Amino acid sequence: MTLILVLISLVVALIFGLMPITRTRLPVLLGLSILAIFAFQPALPVRYLDFWLPTTSITIAVASWAFTLESKKNWARDDWLTVAIIVGMILVLGLNRYLQNSLPFTASRPPNILQITSAIFLSSIVVITVYLVTKKNGKWPIIAIGLILLIFLILKIPVLSYWVSFFLHKLTDQYSGAVSADDVRWLGFSYIAFRLIHTIRDYQAGRLPQVTLAEYVVYIIFFPTLTAGPIDRIERFILDLRQPFRLSSDDLVEAGRRLALGLFKKFVVADALALIALNGINAWQVRTAGWAWILLYAYTFQIFFDFCGYTDIAIGMGRLLGFKLPENFNQPYLKPNLTQFWNNWHMTLTQWFRAYYFNPLTRALRSWNRALPVPLVILIAQTTTMVLIGLWHGINGNFILWGLWHGLGLFIHNRWSEWTRPHFAKLSFPWQRVIQGGGIFLTFHYVALGWAFFSLPNPSSSWHILLKLFGFV
Amino acid sequence: MKNPILYVIILLFMISMLTACSQKDRQALVVEEYLTALVAKDSTRLTTLTCSDWTPSALNELNSFQAVTASLQDMSCRITGVEDEWTLVVCSGDIVTSYNGENQEIDLSVRTYQVVFEGGEFLICGCR
Repeated sequence: MTLILVLISLVVALIFGLMPITRTRLPVLLGLSILAIFAFQPALPVRYLDFWLPTTSITIAVASWAFTLESKKNWARDDWLTVAIIVGMILVLGLNRYLQNSLPFTASRPPNILQITSAIFLSSIVVITVYLVTKKNGKWPIIAIGLILLIFLILKIPVLSYWVSFFLHKLTDQYSGAVSADDVRWLGFSYIAFRLIHTIRDYQAGRLPQVTLAEYVVYIIFFPTLTAGPIDRIERFILDLRQPFRLSSDDLVEAGRRLALGLFKKFVVADALALIALNGINAWQVRTAGWAWILLYAYTFQIFFDFCGYTDIAIGMGRLLGFKLPENFNQPYLKPNLTQFWNNWHMTLTQWFRAYYFNPLTRALRSWNRALPVPLVILIAQTTTMVLIGLWHGINGNFILWGLWHGLGLFIHNRWSEWTRPHFAKLSFPWQRVIQGGGIFLTFHYVALGWAFFSLPNPSSSWHILLKLFGFV
Repeated sequence: MKNPILYVIILLFMISMLTACSQKDRQALVVEEYLTALVAKDSTRLTTLTCSDWTPSALNELNSFQAVTASLQDMSCRITGVEDEWTLVVCSGDIVTSYNGENQEIDLSVRTYQVVFEGGEFLICGCR
């Protein structure tokens, strides 16, 4: 997200926070989130795709709510009014097409109004079908999650996204010679997918609280957290949403502090470090081990300040809107071991994976008829979790290697800690501090070396930089 | 929740009124958007404003601006005629390019753009 968009969002959030609204808080938040999902979507080389993708995000959110509606009860009057607001806003944004100097809510000229109304009609058919046909039990939750993951795979696997782009270019009668796997950039879908899967799984387990359509859609596309999280849980989110909200001086001060910190971290520190951070070009240009370490350290801190900065901005904006969003970072580079690093880096992501993958997998492996040894269960669970987290970032060999690097590191730490715990407790306090300091140093460098896979486009570049770091080339 | 419906209706009405205030033909606007995308080196935008036959030429033209800093000066486009399925658009003003401190002006009026209506959009499909 650009600085301009961030600043505009801040101003909007501040105006919203200062307005004495109570009854219309939810519909206004809904309207703002719908506007934001269109405004934040970058322009795409496929004609109208930057209009259809946000529309599809909203349709999927509505369909998911219809899917998770307990006992398929009748829609309330407020839910129908929410549908009217959503449809109305999409139509208004579509009418942007007919303005000579179009309003800055869509990345490019929207499709014509006939196409938009047809799409709304088709979306309604999809939502009604989901509402009438699907059930809580059996195969339906699996199908729903499978479809979400299928979209995710299409967006992340270059070959698939290339062919989707090619197909879309043909559909819109555009020149297909410039097709690229990067054409289909669906803003926020990764985070939307996490929220959707969380609600579907919780619905399946009977844990999902009953929410109105407006509450659900606002949760799924909440604009401060759309592009970079944090990944909130719906039961926590709606507590804040349902509270009457009036912006206090404490909220203003705390929001201001987080926003100032976030803007400084992201747009000053991270963007400055990006000038010398390790990348696919300078990895091959660097000549000495010393400079290779500087590039690596620059990337290590750039990625932290970039991500942490966005989180601070999201939390600050959320505070202006009356939401105390969960924290995502807690000094991860100062943790003495890899387990604690991952408990303090992108915390909402690790909590999500722990809840919806790691714990269920561990339980399943331990309850097999043939009992697997506990260390093997831990190895499988940790490495596969980290590989999946790597693949979530991108589906290529380097992200798999990054996932394996951390998965194996976690397993080694798990076994080491099991073995040394009784011995560590017998050490005097000064020695414990020394070992802790050594742990921080080692953990930081282990994570930093792992970024050699994350930051570079292919294994050969990563291998080259690793050799360069230790003076072998 | 009745008020939000009213707001949306008012917004729809206002947008409708704004659409009636359009002072320039869409064909001329498309050429202006094309030239804006060209100097901004925005290939993403450029490919959505051109027909599939003209896109390779447009991308070549965009590549020719990669090494320079370019901007538009006093650009204004208007329709000058219709020929078969083509609407002819001519622009006034200049593209100002800068390289290593040296400026060059490219007169926009020497070109006539051919705009075609295809797939519900006006697209640039050639120039003379």
